[in-house]
Amino acid sequence: MDAAGQINKIDALLRACRLMLRMSKGRPDARKSELLYYQMLSGYYNRLLKARENGDFIAAHTVFFPSEVMYSMDIVPMHLETTSWMTALFLGEYGDLLSAGGELGLAGEICSPHRGLAGAFAIEALPRPDVILWSNMVCDNTAKSGEMLMKLTGCPGYFLDHPFQGSQGEVDYLVEELSDMVAFLELHSGRKMDWERLSLCVERMDRQIDLLRQIAELRKAVPSPFHSQGFLELLTIDYLFAGHPEATEYLETLRDELAEAVGQGRGAVSQERFRLMTLFLPPMYLIGFLERISQEYGAVSVVEPFFCSWGEGRLDPGRPLESVARKSYMLPEMRMCGPLDDSAIGQIVDSAREYRIDGAIYYADIGCRHTCATIKLFKDVLDEMDVPVLTLDCDVVDPTVTTEEEIRAKLERFFELLDDR
Amino acid sequence: MTTGASRPQPAGLRALDRFRKVNETFPKTDEILEYKAQGKKVFGWLCTYAPEEIIHAAGALPIRITGYSHETDLEDGTAYFYHNNCSFSRSCLQLGLKGEYDFLDGVVGGSTCDGARRVFDLWHAYVGTPFHHVLTVPRKYTERAHRLYHDQVVQFQRHLEEFLGFCIADADLLRSVDLFNESRQLLRDLYEFRKLQDPPISGAETMEVLNASFHMPKELFNQWLAGLLDELSTSPRRYGGRARLMITGSITTNPEFLRSIEDAGGLIVTDELCNSTRYWSDPVLLDGYSTPLQSISRRYLNNFPCARMFPSDERFDRILALARDFRVDGVISQIIRYCVPYAHDLPLITEKLNEAGIPTLALDVEYGTSGSGQIHTRVQAFLEMLESRRQQWTPLDR
Amino acid sequence: MPDNFAHTLALGVDVGSLTTKAVLLENDRVLFSSVLESSDTAELSARTAVAEVLAGSGLSAEDQVYIVTTGAGGKAVSFSRESKSITTCLARGIRYLFPSVRMAIDMGAESLTVIKINDRGRLSDWGNQDKCAAGTGVFLQQMAKLMQMPLEDMARLSFKAKSRAEVSSTCAVFAESEVISHIHRVPPTPKEDIVAGIYLSMVHRILTVCKRVGIEKDVAAVGGVARNSGLVSILQEEMGFEVLVPESPEETAALGAAILARESINKGAS
Repeated sequence: MDAAGQINKIDALLRACRLMLRMSKGRPDARKSELLYYQMLSGYYNRLLKARENGDFIAAHTVFFPSEVMYSMDIVPMHLETTSWMTALFLGEYGDLLSAGGELGLAGEICSPHRGLAGAFAIEALPRPDVILWSNMVCDNTAKSGEMLMKLTGCPGYFLDHPFQGSQGEVDYLVEELSDMVAFLELHSGRKMDWERLSLCVERMDRQIDLLRQIAELRKAVPSPFHSQGFLELLTIDYLFAGHPEATEYLETLRDELAEAVGQGRGAVSQERFRLMTLFLPPMYLIGFLERISQEYGAVSVVEPFFCSWGEGRLDPGRPLESVARKSYMLPEMRMCGPLDDSAIGQIVDSAREYRIDGAIYYADIGCRHTCATIKLFKDVLDEMDVPVLTLDCDVVDPTVTTEEEIRAKLERFFELLDDR
Repeated sequence: MTTGASRPQPAGLRALDRFRKVNETFPKTDEILEYKAQGKKVFGWLCTYAPEEIIHAAGALPIRITGYSHETDLEDGTAYFYHNNCSFSRSCLQLGLKGEYDFLDGVVGGSTCDGARRVFDLWHAYVGTPFHHVLTVPRKYTERAHRLYHDQVVQFQRHLEEFLGFCIADADLLRSVDLFNESRQLLRDLYEFRKLQDPPISGAETMEVLNASFHMPKELFNQWLAGLLDELSTSPRRYGGRARLMITGSITTNPEFLRSIEDAGGLIVTDELCNSTRYWSDPVLLDGYSTPLQSISRRYLNNFPCARMFPSDERFDRILALARDFRVDGVISQIIRYCVPYAHDLPLITEKLNEAGIPTLALDVEYGTSGSGQIHTRVQAFLEMLESRRQQWTPLDR
Repeated sequence: MPDNFAHTLALGVDVGSLTTKAVLLENDRVLFSSVLESSDTAELSARTAVAEVLAGSGLSAEDQVYIVTTGAGGKAVSFSRESKSITTCLARGIRYLFPSVRMAIDMGAESLTVIKINDRGRLSDWGNQDKCAAGTGVFLQQMAKLMQMPLEDMARLSFKAKSRAEVSSTCAVFAESEVISHIHRVPPTPKEDIVAGIYLSMVHRILTVCKRVGIEKDVAAVGGVARNSGLVSILQEEMGFEVLVPESPEETAALGAAILARESINKGAS
C-alpha cells in the first residue's frame, strides 16, 4: 500500500521488478541482457510511480500503440495490457481486478486483461493518468475499452483509428490520425513534439527491427540458444521501449550472447528434445512454471510466428510519422490482426520448416475470440506438414480458468505423443 | 389493455405469409434460385457496411448472409471457430460449410468486428466463393474517414467490375439508390404504424418483414411491403400489451424470440438491431455536388451506427431518440454471448437509458434463441415492474 | 530386475475414477482381463485388479509381470514399471483391435476424449471435453435417475422413439432442467423420445469434439459408455456410417497399456 493507503499495483510491480533484478544479479549464469531487461522494466515502473511527484504527464495507452510518439514528447507512458499481464506475471494476483471489472457491468466474455484494467481503475489500483489513448489495432476489446476508461478516470481521450489492410491510402489515413493525436497530446500536456527526437527514434527502431530479425535467425540453430519464454522479453522490449537507446543496447547484447551460444553449440536447455512453435500467448501467471517444464522435458519454444517474425521493410527517419505508421503494419502480431491471407499461412509453414519444429502449442485464451478462430486453420496447415498441435484452453491472466496440474497433464501427454512418433 | 393470456389472434396478413415463406426457405428460396436460373449473379454480404446498391447496379442480387433461423447445434461452426466466438458467426459459417450458400457468386464484407472478419477468413479458406472482397471500414465519422471509406467503396466497385467484365454505369447506380431508398421509406412507413398506441402489427410480425427485406430481390420486396402497408392501413387489427418495449443489441432474426416476449404481454414497438433500424434507417442523399458513389459511401458510414463505431454517443443518442419517438416504457437488451462490441456498450447505454427514466432488462442469449423458460420468467418480472411504475406515473410526467 | 525377459508377461492397468481395468497379455494374446470397482486409493485399486487377473489366469505373484499403468490414478501406483497417458494407451489398444480405425471416441465416466491415430498406428492428435459432464457416463447415470429407470432399460427404450425431444447440448445443468420439463409437460413427452433426446444431446457434444480434430474413417467407440447400444445407434445415424465397438470397450486403454508393456519387454530382451 502506498502512503495514501491505496493498493498500488505499480508500486508492487516495481518492487517485483527490482526483486527479479536482484535475483538475476545474484545468479552466476544470468545473462547480461536479462539484467538490462529488468533494469529497463524497473526504470519504466519507477518513472510511472514518480510521475506525479515530478510533474510529469501520464498517457495510458493500449497495446501496439506507438509509444515512440510519447517518448519524443517526454510524456510518461502507461502501457495498459502489459501492466495487466505483469500484475498477473509478477504478482500472481488478478482476482480483485476482475471482480471490480465485473461489478462495472462488463460481461465475462470481455477478455480478462481489459476487464481487469477497467476494474483496476475503478478501485484505483493504478495511478490516474492524464489522458487515455487507445486504438483498434488488435481487436474489438482494445477498440471499445477507451470510453469506459475515460469515464472511470475522468480523463480526456483519443481513439487512434487503425485501418484494417495497410494499403497506401490506409497508411496515409493513419498518418493523419497520428498527426491529430500529436496535436491532442500537445494541447493537453503543454509539451511540444520534438520531431528530431522522433526521427532518431525511428532510426533506432529500424536498427532494432534488424536486430530482432537477427535474433530470430539465431534461434533457428539446433540446439536453440534462447530460453523458452524469452520471446516475452522481446515483446516487452518492443511494446515498452521501441526507439529507446536502451532497447538497442539490450538487443545488441542479447544478439551477441545468442551468437556466442550458437557458436559454442550451447542450447537453452541441457538436452533439447522437443522444438516447439508457440501460437498466441501462454498464461502470464504460468511463465515460471512453463520455464521449469521446458527444462524438465527439454522442450524449447523456438519460434512464435505471430510475435517474432517481422514484416519486410525499412523505416525512414526522414519521414517519422509515416514510418511510425508503417511500422504498425510490420509488427508480427498484425499478421493475425489483419486479413488472414496466404502470407499469414505462409508464415506458419515457413517457420515450421526453418525452425525444424517437432510440434506446436496453441494457447487458446478464452477471452481472445479472433485468435481462437485461427486454431483449426493453423492446425490444418501444420497437420499437412505432419506437425502435431496441442490446444491448451486457458486465460492469459485469470488463473481460475485452468490450473498448473491440468496444463502439466496435457503437456505430458503431448510430449509423450511426440516421443512416440 | 390486453394481457398476454387472453390475447385474441389478429387476422392474418396475406403479405406476411409471403414473407414468412421466404424466411422459412432461406437461403435457397424460390426467388433466389429463379434469379440464378436466369443466369444472373448473387452476392452475399455480412454487416451493414457493405454497399448493396453497387451490387444491384451491376445487375446482381445482393442478399444478406445470416445463420440458421433458430437455435441449433453448431458442431461444424464451433469446430472451425472455437467455442468462444459468437454463435452468429458460427451459425453463418456452418451454413456455408454445409453448402447452403453454394449458389453465391461472391461474398462481400467489411472489417467490422472480430466475428465478422473471421467469418470471411474461414469462408475464404474452407467454403470458397469465386469473388471475395473485404472493405476496410473506418471506425470514425470524420471527413478523413469518409474519404477513406469512399476509396474503399470505389475499389470494391472496380474489383466487382473486373470480376463481372463490364463497367457499372452511374445511371444504374442512381436507379439502384432510388430502389433501395424506396425500401427504406417503406420500412419507415411500416414503423410509423408501430408508433400508434395500439399498433396493427406486432414486433414478431415486423421481424418477418425485416428478415425478408435482405433475402429477396428489392423490387419484389417493395411491392409486397407496399401491399402490406395497404392492408395495415385498412385493417381493424390491433395489438395491445402491458408495456411498450424496444429491443436492442446484437443481431436477432428469430421471430419466436420476439413472440415469446409479446406472449408475456410485452408489446415490441421498435427495435435497434443489425437487421432492423441499423439496417434501413438512413436514406442515400443525392445532391448535385456528389457522385453516386460519394453519396452512397457517405450514407453507409453515417448510417445508424454499429457498436464498433466511435464515439459511442452517436449510437446512444439515436437509441434514446428512438425510445422517445416510440414512447417506449422499457428497453430489453439482448446480446449474444461473445458479442464483444455490444457487451462493452451495455453498461454505458444502460446508464443513459436509466438516467432518461427508461428501465432496462439485459438478456444474455445465443443467436437464434426462441426465448426459453428462463428468459420468459425474467421478461415477466420486467413487465410487472414496468406496470407498477406506470401506476406511479401519470402520462404527463413522462 | 528379471534377466530373462522371455518369460515376462505384459500387464496393463487403467486406474479410473469409478472402475479399474486390467489386461494380461501373453505374447500377443489376451490371457485374462478384469473390470472392478475402484477402491479409495489408486494403489489399492491397482493391487486388487492385478491380484484378480493373476489369480484368474492361474499365475502367482512370483511370476514375472511387467506392469504399465494409466488412467486418472496411473501415476500413483508404486509398483508400476511405467505410467503412460491414457491417450497413448488408447491408440495402442485401438490399433490392436481395429487396425483400420483412424479416430476413436473414448466415452468414460467423467471425460470424453477423441483420439486420432495415423497410418503407422501412432497417436497423432486428441481432443477433450472434460469441463462439462454432458458427454459422459456420470451424466448418463444422472439422467437414468431422473427418468427413474436402469441404464440398460433406457438404451432399449430409445429404439422405440418416434422422434427426439429437444435437450440442450450446451450444458449438463440445462439438459437436466429440460429433461425435467419434458417429464412434467402436459401431456408428458413420451419417455422413449426423451431418452433419444438425451442421447442426441450427448452425440452433439461428441461430434463437436470430433470435428475439431477432424473426422476420419474408420471410427470406433470405446470406454464404458460405448456399451450403450442406444447411444451408439444415434451416434452412427448422425455420423452417417458404422461405428466399430469392441467386445469389451472399457478395457481398451488397459489393453493398450499392456501392449506398451509388451513393447518395453521386447526392447529389454533385445
